[in-house]
Amino acid sequence: SIMPSYKLTYFDGRARAEVARQILYLADIPFEDVRISLHDWPSLKSTTPFGQMPLLEVDGQSLPQSFAIFRYLAKQFGFSGDSPFESAWVDALADQHADYFREILPVLLTIWGFTQGDRMALVKEVATPARDKYFPLLEKIAKDNGLNGHFVGDSLTWVDLLIAEHVGSINQHLPGFLSAYPSVIKTVNKITSTPRLKEWIEKRKETTF
Amino acid sequence: KLTYFDGRGRGEVARQLFHLSGVPFEDNRIPMAEWPAHKASMPFGKMPLLEVNGKPLPQSYAIFRYLAREFGFVGDSPFAAAWVDAVADQFKDYFDEIKSLLFVHFGFAQGDKEKMMKDVAIPARDKFFPMLEKIAKDNHNNGHFVGASLTWVDLLIAEHVSVLLKYMPGFLNDYPTVLSTVKKINSIPKLKEWIDKRPDSTF
Repeated sequence: SIMPSYKLTYFDGRARAEVARQILYLADIPFEDVRISLHDWPSLKSTTPFGQMPLLEVDGQSLPQSFAIFRYLAKQFGFSGDSPFESAWVDALADQHADYFREILPVLLTIWGFTQGDRMALVKEVATPARDKYFPLLEKIAKDNGLNGHFVGDSLTWVDLLIAEHVGSINQHLPGFLSAYPSVIKTVNKITSTPRLKEWIEKRKETTF
Repeated sequence: KLTYFDGRGRGEVARQLFHLSGVPFEDNRIPMAEWPAHKASMPFGKMPLLEVNGKPLPQSYAIFRYLAREFGFVGDSPFAAAWVDAVADQFKDYFDEIKSLLFVHFGFAQGDKEKMMKDVAIPARDKFFPMLEKIAKDNHNNGHFVGASLTWVDLLIAEHVSVLLKYMPGFLNDYPTVLSTVKKINSIPKLKEWIDKRPDSTF
């Protein structure tokens, strides 16, 4: 049977689309990697189901919402865990990560240049408490999973990619911010050493976000 | 075994999935006063928590999706299941905006209800419900938000709309297809049976 066509539309950055690009690249699936400028986005907005990006199109059928996209592609291509219960734990950790990410997002938006703000104050008053609530949990999860290079189970899943991408972004702009979480760092380093992922990371376009 | 507060809140959809599928479960309800003592034993310090043969699973949507998959309420295809996820996550974004007013209605927080209605609830509604109305219409007003069979996002939205109808009557008058879809969902015999017999709670 013929492989479906995949088109991913997002801004010209990693943020909420990168995991989808990585899954498709890891699975060696060709896809149209469409990047929309901030200038062009307003006119496109109303053509999307939820007025947001990323948007995945599979044979022209639209699917919005980043985690729905990641989970769908992960399931198609074998990155959603080795059992239904494990897949559920991947989902649970991803949702916990999303709760943390929602708290730290205002800081990142300032760092990335999308909003104005006192960067140092935001790191101290917003990012640090958010980190201190979530990363001890993640550190424990990495240790309890045997420090095997994955956050859940023993094969690469989309939550590994999600967390590794975020840690990469943090390291890019706030070096040392996660130095109290060596098991997390070690796990992320193992994830990003996966040969095909390493290849993608090295050749992809560099962006601030 | 499902552990949650003695209310519907973020646990109810899981209970409904069990009742709809006829699978017995321990419906473990923790009184508010006892919650602090349990918190440390939860993987993410929060409820609901599902235990499957003693193995814990936290996070409400992960629980709902897992049970829905086990019992056949995820949608008719992988792509439909992905749309169920997408609508649920879009709902979650909306719920995060409106929950502060709901917590005042539930008695968990203080607040000026009228001011919050104007500043918080109405903007949140006006951002999300037009999309949901369109989704219900595009799905042929068939009694489901995605596809042609009951899914966990139907239960999620129906439960929330019931809360809105109770505390903010008239709030969704501009969204007749959403209301008609919720009515159809709540009329499903096994669900109606549970709704009629379940313990009452403010939340």
